[in-house]
Amino acid sequence: MNIGQHISQEYNDELEDLRNRVLSMGRLVDQQFSDASQALLKGKIDLAQKVAKLDYKVNAMEVAIDEECAQIIARRQPAAIDLRNLFTVIKVVTDLERIGDESEKIARFASELSTDTKSMNFYKSLKHMVSIAKAMLADSLDCYARLDSQKALEISRMDAELDAEFENLNRLLSTYLLEDTKNIESTLKVTWCARAIERVGDHAKNICEYVVYVVHGRDIRHIDDKSSQDDT
Amino acid sequence: MNNTQIVQKSLKKRYAKERRFKIYGVFSIIVSLAFLLFLLVDIVLKSTPAFTQTYIKLDIDFSYKVLNIDPKPNYTKDELFKSSYRNLISKALYQLFPDVSSRKQKRALRKLISSGAQYHLRDLVIERPQLIGTSQSVWVLADDDIDTFFKGLIDRNLPEADRRIKDIQITWIDKLQSKDRIKRQFNASFLTSGDSREPEQAGILGALKGSLYTMLVTLLLSFPIGVAAAVYLEEFAPKNNWWIDVIEVNINNLAAVPSIVFGILGLAVYINLFGVPRSAPLAGGLVLSLMTLPTIIIATRAAIKSVPPSIREAALGLGASKIQVITHHVLPLAMPGILTGSIIGMAQALGESAPLLMIGMVAFVADIPQGFFDPSTVLPVQIYIWSDSPERAFIALTSAAIIVLLIFLFLMNLLAVLLRNKFETKW
Amino acid sequence: MNNNDIELNQQLGKTVGNPLVDGIPRMSCQSVDVFYNQDLQAIFNVSVDLAKNQILAMIGPSGCGKSTLLRCLNRMNDTIDGCIVTGKIYLDNEDIYTSNIDPVLLRAKVGMVFQKPNPFPKSIYDNVAYGPRLHGLMTNNSELDDIVEESLTKAGLWKETKDRLNKPGTGLSGGQQQRLCIARTIAVKPEVILMDEPTSALDPIATATIEELMYELKSSYTIAVVTHSMQQAARISDRCAYFHLGRLVEVNDTNIVFTNPEHGLTENYITGRFG
Repeated sequence: MNIGQHISQEYNDELEDLRNRVLSMGRLVDQQFSDASQALLKGKIDLAQKVAKLDYKVNAMEVAIDEECAQIIARRQPAAIDLRNLFTVIKVVTDLERIGDESEKIARFASELSTDTKSMNFYKSLKHMVSIAKAMLADSLDCYARLDSQKALEISRMDAELDAEFENLNRLLSTYLLEDTKNIESTLKVTWCARAIERVGDHAKNICEYVVYVVHGRDIRHIDDKSSQDDT
Repeated sequence: MNNTQIVQKSLKKRYAKERRFKIYGVFSIIVSLAFLLFLLVDIVLKSTPAFTQTYIKLDIDFSYKVLNIDPKPNYTKDELFKSSYRNLISKALYQLFPDVSSRKQKRALRKLISSGAQYHLRDLVIERPQLIGTSQSVWVLADDDIDTFFKGLIDRNLPEADRRIKDIQITWIDKLQSKDRIKRQFNASFLTSGDSREPEQAGILGALKGSLYTMLVTLLLSFPIGVAAAVYLEEFAPKNNWWIDVIEVNINNLAAVPSIVFGILGLAVYINLFGVPRSAPLAGGLVLSLMTLPTIIIATRAAIKSVPPSIREAALGLGASKIQVITHHVLPLAMPGILTGSIIGMAQALGESAPLLMIGMVAFVADIPQGFFDPSTVLPVQIYIWSDSPERAFIALTSAAIIVLLIFLFLMNLLAVLLRNKFETKW
Repeated sequence: MNNNDIELNQQLGKTVGNPLVDGIPRMSCQSVDVFYNQDLQAIFNVSVDLAKNQILAMIGPSGCGKSTLLRCLNRMNDTIDGCIVTGKIYLDNEDIYTSNIDPVLLRAKVGMVFQKPNPFPKSIYDNVAYGPRLHGLMTNNSELDDIVEESLTKAGLWKETKDRLNKPGTGLSGGQQQRLCIARTIAVKPEVILMDEPTSALDPIATATIEELMYELKSSYTIAVVTHSMQQAARISDRCAYFHLGRLVEVNDTNIVFTNPEHGLTENYITGRFG
């Protein structure tokens, strides 16, 4: 397929601008998540505060991008690749905003947990989850930037790994709970954190799926990986 | 100097140019209107004498002796036809002026009355035989010279040798006038009789009817043929075909051929080859059709071309056949244009005299034509004949004939406008 | 065939998408080529089906042959000198070019609505009654009245015109005129209606009413419409065909064409990109 430039240069510029804004929002969210996970793993409270501040910015960007999308739809009536692109932008922005929310949640628990020395025991298992989720998020944004559908499929498969880690952690945490009921509060907080990290992975997976939709026009959500692999 | 100033500077010039152009236009219209007005006024003024005629009252004694017939209760038309009526007039005149005695003067006296007056008396007697044996006062037509003099067109102060009317005749006229025996009256015979060598008897009806018959033949021939040819060329003829192109070029050229050529053609083909009667409206109509055809064909083609193709497509799309499209839509929509073209062609034909000279329609025809095969003349030819005649009274007749021709044209154009409006106001 | 043509054929290749429909199509074109004056080929090997009770939209840049193909479907091209159509076009499994179907009969079965509203300069009644009168579809005047009323009703024009049926059709507004033309077409009770840019001369509101009318007519007729407005094709059609330089590039469900076209040329055209 040789897709050319729009006849309308202004339309080209609008779409380019939109894309840049989504990518910069992605970088912001990526920063947020990595700050939040640093705060959690290393107990850095100042980073946690920074995450909360960044969230305002992310939310504002979501609103601005949504509005621009609405304007482009109203004025340009996009079709085909442009329609899929725009549709994906709206979806990706929602997912990014959710990741921001999850990061904020993690940062909040991080500042609460930083005073609790016992919880340090769980960090090891959390650290693994964080590294998977971070990789997924960064890669999915990269895929989106390059519209690499092949890589996107690979990344979306990493989500299963993250889910498995989450299951493992849950099992570990339940044993702690059985050992000592005093651990309940901190254990629950760690569970929430783990849950948030797992959700970040889900959102990253969604972004990858949208990339496939942009490129191939096929919606691979809620179809098992095998069949989507065969079709593409 | 910026652009605004440059433009403003030139604006003045441009507006001045515009005004000048308008003035030229108005001036040309005024000039052409003046010419037209001058022409009309001149013709109308010159023609007025032709619409009245001078009559002289004579006491006619319809005696058996003068009429040279025996008294009996009934007469056949033939008997009355053969009698001499000229003597009635002569006798009445001698009675009126008993002091006239010399032969020469008697002849001058007889010349007061038109040579056609005796036929008037004849018709009177045939119509009412009971007049025979009685004495009646009858207004009879004066001679054209008397008529011209009485209308004041001959100066009585000229030396006698320079005018067509003798001194003695003038004294007689004065005498008649003092006795109220001479008067002017509306000239009905101008519109009801045919041509004559005597201006006072000459009428336009023969030429009018001749023109009418000729135009009928022309219309009946050239309209259907012209429209059919145009429809074929425009709708059916194959495009980009060399012989269709040849036909088209020739039709366009025909419109520019001098009309006398058609006359020669008509003489050679119609009269000599096919034996069409000479001088007949049929022959004239046939020749004029040749002239009118190209005009009608060209006008019809233009009218057909101007019918929007969307209408044709609409009809075709509904399943109309080609001929249905033409008869239901193309021709009705083109009709105003076709009519305009046809009337222009007919008007040209009506005013045409040159080709008719070639086929004998310039002959002197006193009888009023009763059909397409009778010898006849047409209005423009009649005008030409009269304008060529020496008698003074023919000047007025010529102008009157022009007026009749103009009215004929005007009526034709009026008919065209009415027809066109009828077709146009359909929508 | 020069180098340009070869390159073009490689780029265009075979029609992608689903040119054929399941079941028996109402009309079907098979390998249709159209030539003007022998040396100018307007349409190259086009095969496409018109499914019953569906609207097929034909889109493409100017001069791509979409109107030419449309006019082949009721043999309106016959009236153009030097126009040659090869291949087969079927109407209900009868080849309209070789079988015994007369073009006049064919045009009664395959009606056409044109770009510019072109009512006859006659009354509204006479406009609608023209086709039935032409073909003798009625036996008496009351039947004709019924046909006129039915057609005008179907075209959504009855309410507006019932009190002025004797007024000229040319006195209506543009949108009303076009609906009158549609009423005139359906008065002949065709099976297929061809529309050649039916709304290009109309304002948006009139366009919307015509589009709504097309949607309603779909249940009784099969419609093929040529349009320059991609949005219109997207709004009204069930299937959409994209033409490029006389080739049929892609035919597919409209939903697919406008979200995920298969061919790059289609993509370029409907998203407004340089080809």
